Amino acid sequence: MSTKKISDPKKQTHETSQNKIKKLEDDIRQLKVELNEKNDKYLRTLADFQNYQKRIEKELIAQKEDIKKKYLLELLDQIELLKKAYDDPDPKPGLKLLLENMDKFLKKEGITYIECKGKPFDYQLHNAVSTVEQSECVDGTVIDEIKKGYFMGEKLLRPSHVIVAKKKP
Amino acid sequence: MHDMSKIIGIDLGTTNSEAAYIEAGKPVVIKSVEGQPYFPSVVAFTKTGEMLVGEAAKRQAVTNTEGTVQRIKRKMGTSEKVTLRGKTYTPQQISAFILQKIKKDAEDFLGEKITDAVITVPAYFNDDQRQATKDAGAIAGFNVKRIINEPTAAALAYGLDKEGDQKIAVYDFGGGTLDVTIMEVGGGVFEVLSTSGDTQLGGSDMDKALVDYIAEEFKKQHGVDLRKEPKTLQRVLEAAETAKIELSSTLQTDINLPYIYVVTGEPKHLEIKLTRAKLEEIISPIVQRSEKPCRQALQDAKLKPEDIDHVVLVGGVTRMQMVAKKVEEIFKQKPKREVDPMECVAIGAAIQAGVLSGAIDKDIVLLDVTPLTLSIETLGGVATPLIDRNTTVPTRKSKVFSTAADNQTSVEINVLQGERPMAADNKSLGRFHLDGILPAPRGLPQIEVSFDIDVNGIMNVSAKDLGTGKEQSIHITGSTKLSDSEIERMQKEAKEHEEEDKKRKEKIEIRNVADALVHTTEKTLVELKDKFTSDDKEALEKALKELREALTGDDTDKIKEKTDALTQAFQKASTAIYQQAAQQHQQQQGAGAAQGDAWQGHPSDDDSTINADYKVKGEKKKKKDHEEE
Repeated sequence: MSTKKISDPKKQTHETSQNKIKKLEDDIRQLKVELNEKNDKYLRTLADFQNYQKRIEKELIAQKEDIKKKYLLELLDQIELLKKAYDDPDPKPGLKLLLENMDKFLKKEGITYIECKGKPFDYQLHNAVSTVEQSECVDGTVIDEIKKGYFMGEKLLRPSHVIVAKKKP
Repeated sequence: MHDMSKIIGIDLGTTNSEAAYIEAGKPVVIKSVEGQPYFPSVVAFTKTGEMLVGEAAKRQAVTNTEGTVQRIKRKMGTSEKVTLRGKTYTPQQISAFILQKIKKDAEDFLGEKITDAVITVPAYFNDDQRQATKDAGAIAGFNVKRIINEPTAAALAYGLDKEGDQKIAVYDFGGGTLDVTIMEVGGGVFEVLSTSGDTQLGGSDMDKALVDYIAEEFKKQHGVDLRKEPKTLQRVLEAAETAKIELSSTLQTDINLPYIYVVTGEPKHLEIKLTRAKLEEIISPIVQRSEKPCRQALQDAKLKPEDIDHVVLVGGVTRMQMVAKKVEEIFKQKPKREVDPMECVAIGAAIQAGVLSGAIDKDIVLLDVTPLTLSIETLGGVATPLIDRNTTVPTRKSKVFSTAADNQTSVEINVLQGERPMAADNKSLGRFHLDGILPAPRGLPQIEVSFDIDVNGIMNVSAKDLGTGKEQSIHITGSTKLSDSEIERMQKEAKEHEEEDKKRKEKIEIRNVADALVHTTEKTLVELKDKFTSDDKEALEKALKELREALTGDDTDKIKEKTDALTQAFQKASTAIYQQAAQQHQQQQGAGAAQGDAWQGHPSDDDSTINADYKVKGEKKKKKDHEEE
């Protein structure tokens, strides 16, 4: 390299820079092409994602409706039977079967009742509506159930609404 | 600032807090581990020293009054401290516990670590209160990127910062407080002109008034006060809330609480009819009280109601028709309430967070959508959609079509825009022909039509004969650029003609099915002429003749009836052939199996194939195609 420079340094430098410029221009051109491709790909992926979001939204609504349908149909059956029981002069035997059916349905769906009366208050399972002061009691014991609580499988469906005892000081 | 880590927006409220973040340009509300879209702003320490925050703390609040703290927001910025189970905490620390719970649940929800947040405060918060909120965030482990005003966040949720110089009123009626703020926005900067409110007025006052009414009614009938017992009070309270929500959309509701009370061994039922008018009468004094702070805010800002450009509703109470009406009356304009009023502030905070993190970048994320459906014309002048309305571009969709007649060598692709089911009612954007299709029975050639719209809305439509590889295409510009009035007109037209269009389309579909059946029957009669019994053949020919005659007329019912008749005759005849074949099959196994395989490879097995030029292939015909083979 150094010997060539000596022979015609100016021309050599000129040629080298020309080559460099040409190479850089080629690089830029290629990078531009690549950038355009990448940008297009990026925008398409983003658009695909937005369209996916829209589709999922629609599907979620449809799914909600399907779930609603399933439980409404079950409810309708029970209501129709209840109406028959209402017109029945001796409704008890019919109602008994009806309740058994409903219990069976709840069991199938994994619904279990949460025991609470007489147990210590547990914020994970119970919702305290009020407290009652008593002299003879264990502080913090559930003394009454206002609304039953249930599990849905392992998850809490609804906490028991309870009244909790408070020991009189 | 294009830090790609997520920043969440938090509405740190008096009774409940909410959080949201931006995903692909859209706000998403974060759910708590308990599955709710909010976090009760309650902190408690149990006897055993366990700390509870949110839903769990709220559930045990009445049993643990000395260990529970609520509404800490009211003490922010003061030197007041709270003592819980012997330990003293500053309001910042208590708020930090709530923020920590939000942080943890948000991380669970998003599946990634969250360190940055934007937190909102009331517009009237002073520097001390703002600093205290910021400190609470820091204690919770947040890097608080910004503290913004709640009404500003609400305005951001509606995108009001983008509309030039505006004057905005925000009416925030929550569970326990009313805040009215008047702001001016210009160049993306919000300036609070005035604030007013009532810290002792809220939705809980309305619930109480309603419970009182119901209990008094019951007392009149049965002489028992349901409010005296927590058991019955709870049921009345729940019924009151339900009735309030129902009366937002209906004019009357029945409050029925069977077996609410037992009076000397006899069960009593609560039955009360509640009309919206009655409800409004009951809550009217509370709604009226909100007028004064509004007038005060206007006066302080030295503005008249007419000067306000937008009124935004925030808080659950504003879901009630009567409240919205009152606001309309005060500000002399319809208030905005499209964004969920409970989530509005958190969403606005998330938008601010999104701008800071680069999750909202106007240049890139705001991709165009196709304003109208893009279709091609198929058999009988039907518009078959390829790209649905409101699809984000750039996008590419393709569908395989086929020919409608035997030996058809050319198809015309007519590109349409619009919502109407018939091609002629939509706008034609362009058309071209694809020639050189090899002569073949109808339905056999596969022609793939693709729509490709780039980011600039330029659409490339191409048609390719998958058999020969021949391809034709055109460019159409401006498929996403329509004037709003044009879009509106086309959508309106589609709505107006919906019923009539549906009938017309049905009519054509019936014709197409009949047409296909005639074609198949003719073909089958030739191909299998020796296999039919003479009775079956006669019946088929008769039914075929009748359907052909029906097709010359315009009586859709008749065409349908004759199609059914021919289908039945066909089924009967082909069943006989199958039985015959089955007998043969038993004698010489193997031949039947090969027959079964043959269908699999038949192109018309492809459900996505639709006859272009243009036929929607009837299900019946498809079946017959299989049966013939």
